[in-house]
Amino acid sequence: MKRRDFMQTSTVLTATAAFLPASLLSTKVMAANVQKFPAPLKPTLDGDVKVFHLFIDIHIQEIVPGFKIHTLAFNNQVPGPEIRVKRGDKVRVIFKNKTELNHTIHWHGMHVPWRMDGVPYVTQMPVMPGQEFVYEFTAEPQGTHFYHCHWGTLLHMQAGMYGSLIVEEDDDPIRKQFPYEREYTLLYSAHDVNFLREEMNSMLERMKERMYLMKTGRFNKERFAVFDTKEEFVQAVKNGYQPPYVVNRRAPAGLPVANWFTVNGKSYPMTPNLYIKSGENIRVRLINAGMEEHYLHLHGHDFWQVADDGLPVPQPWQRNTLRLSPGKTTDIIIEGKNRGIWTFHDHDTRRVTNNGLYPGGNLLALVYEDLPAKETELNMMAKKMGLKNLPIVALDE
Amino acid sequence: MYFIKKVFLFVLLSGLLYGAFAQVSPEIQLGARGVISFNTDISGSQKATSVNDFSDTGLLLGFRQKLYNRFRGQLVIGLQFPDADSDLGQVFFHQTFLRIEDQKNILKMGRSRVQSALIEFPTLRDDDALFLTDVLNPFSSGENTEDNQYGNVIEAAHVFAQRYWLRLHGEHFTKTPQQPATAETDFSLNAVGASFVYRVPETQIWNRPFIQQIGLGFNNFLTDRRGYSSHFDKTLKNILVSGIFNIKPDPIYFVDARFQVVYNLGFKEVKTVGSFYDLTRAAAAAHFFSLRFLYRKLERPTLQLALSGGFKVFPNLTNKTRQWQVIANAFYRLGENFDTVLQIQQTRFTGDLQALYGKTETRFQIGLVYSIDQRWNKQFEDRNSLLNLEHGYIP
Repeated sequence: MKRRDFMQTSTVLTATAAFLPASLLSTKVMAANVQKFPAPLKPTLDGDVKVFHLFIDIHIQEIVPGFKIHTLAFNNQVPGPEIRVKRGDKVRVIFKNKTELNHTIHWHGMHVPWRMDGVPYVTQMPVMPGQEFVYEFTAEPQGTHFYHCHWGTLLHMQAGMYGSLIVEEDDDPIRKQFPYEREYTLLYSAHDVNFLREEMNSMLERMKERMYLMKTGRFNKERFAVFDTKEEFVQAVKNGYQPPYVVNRRAPAGLPVANWFTVNGKSYPMTPNLYIKSGENIRVRLINAGMEEHYLHLHGHDFWQVADDGLPVPQPWQRNTLRLSPGKTTDIIIEGKNRGIWTFHDHDTRRVTNNGLYPGGNLLALVYEDLPAKETELNMMAKKMGLKNLPIVALDE
Repeated sequence: MYFIKKVFLFVLLSGLLYGAFAQVSPEIQLGARGVISFNTDISGSQKATSVNDFSDTGLLLGFRQKLYNRFRGQLVIGLQFPDADSDLGQVFFHQTFLRIEDQKNILKMGRSRVQSALIEFPTLRDDDALFLTDVLNPFSSGENTEDNQYGNVIEAAHVFAQRYWLRLHGEHFTKTPQQPATAETDFSLNAVGASFVYRVPETQIWNRPFIQQIGLGFNNFLTDRRGYSSHFDKTLKNILVSGIFNIKPDPIYFVDARFQVVYNLGFKEVKTVGSFYDLTRAAAAAHFFSLRFLYRKLERPTLQLALSGGFKVFPNLTNKTRQWQVIANAFYRLGENFDTVLQIQQTRFTGDLQALYGKTETRFQIGLVYSIDQRWNKQFEDRNSLLNLEHGYIP
């Protein structure tokens, strides 16, 4: 093999993680890609109120082929379905808890009435197994937001309880400045699947016991580790009550250390692609619903950062890497100015792994639909390897 | 320069070898149990004390990993400190086995606990009532209890509908060497058996109806019965029936009851019991019961009180022979998995057994028990986790 061929092959197989073009542009792949973004939840109308139905249940999610985990999924989807409304819409979300765990829904970034904020014991009692809770609010402010469970948040969020909430504005300044037709929502998360499994089992076991006590009216504050006031809690400790974090009651294995990183509930090579055409603008709504920071870098482009926490920034600025902290939403506009196939990934490459193996995690691609076939021809090495059809993934470093 | 080259080559080769033979990190399991008691025994008018009885103290080390298919593989090595007069030495390796399993099938081979009992009873040590709770090993001289509890086993189990366990097993039970010792030790299969048990998984404790577990077992020892040539006639047959019932499945004040009957069909020619050899071959029915109360304060066990007792009858012996035993104990939890315990037991023998073991024995024990079960590098769920049982099994 000539050195040039070797270099060319290596570049394709490693540096760009071998997103090879022909398959990416097949009709089948492009049609399947649509399913990799959160499906909008259709509301019904009750007068002028848009009514959405959400339920939560335990669901098995296949993050990548061959690797499944138990998740907590809104409407059996991870992430949950996308709620998309207009600014000023009256919204009612009827939430049904089908699990044996407690939950709430917090509307992250939304200016809801405080009793609708979904914080257990602060704004509402938890929604207990089998119960229903109705959230009502007016959609405000505009922009990219999300919803998530606020009970046992460390576990429940990484178990899948999050979904996008998009508040559109008719007179959107971003669309005015960067006219676009297509937009994509990407929800990032990080999962310690061992922590998830252990804690979910542990919580389910505890809740079975607690439900038994509830039925017989013997479930009290100390069992639930909930007190009316801080003073009451302090007094209870003085009287011998031992909080759950004291080792002789229950000792968790430790804080989670994420080993799987997902975009819209999937890891590479099952992550979604962002399709674009030369001369087109696309809007990408980035939501970090996980517990890790991400440093997202787009190859071959400088994108415009146009919104921060849902709010349009007064002066968009260009960059090719952005920091997406936990709880943060950022909107970017990508201009189709450099035809090709470009990776978009976390530059903390520990998160471009699946259970420690590169490539994986939140790696995905920006794909130009108008890429000429000539530019996607097989190279000599690929032919020698016996590849008849170009693959879309390469998992071997 | 030549030396540097050699060092470089060594490092390079080491790296290549490491790369070629890098191993999957297994899940590592550590189980430990410390049982220390101060015993006072009164046999008739004689009194004996033991300051430090640490028998049953043991250590288990396990390694598990996923295999290429839906199976998982496991290696367990365990050691125990046996009774001082057991003739087993300072340390006894009671567990050394390999196991592969999937959701419904288990295959286990190696040294392990034999299927001499279907359930465990709430006594301080596993062998406190061994004569009544276990099928006894007819190949042993009876010098120790471990001969009855551990052996070289091969077991295959199938789990139906998460709760029905069908188990086929074969064992080599330890055979006490005859004097003079033979040149070669025989490790061939000398017992076979089967059991069928309905068992509610531990994780579903609060779903439990009245029946927690009920089972039926058969154990057959392949003996060299004198005067008989047919293999079937030489077989010493035991039947086990057991059950555990939730009297009050309450999370705070929990009460359960359990029983087991071990019916040894025996050999009809055994009319007297003058040794352990006869004892294991005499037709007998051993009955054992227990009632357990468990107080759980704030979701953790705090106090356990148990009253157990049983008797054994020998219908074919010339002399009317009986064994009675009562055990009462209390465990109080001092901290996570750390208990202090008080146990009193009395055993009474009549007929042929009185000559062997005395008329009565009373034992007072006060002690401490510490047991842990830790795992590192966890990788997968157990068959009986709630997620696997109730929300779809993930291999």
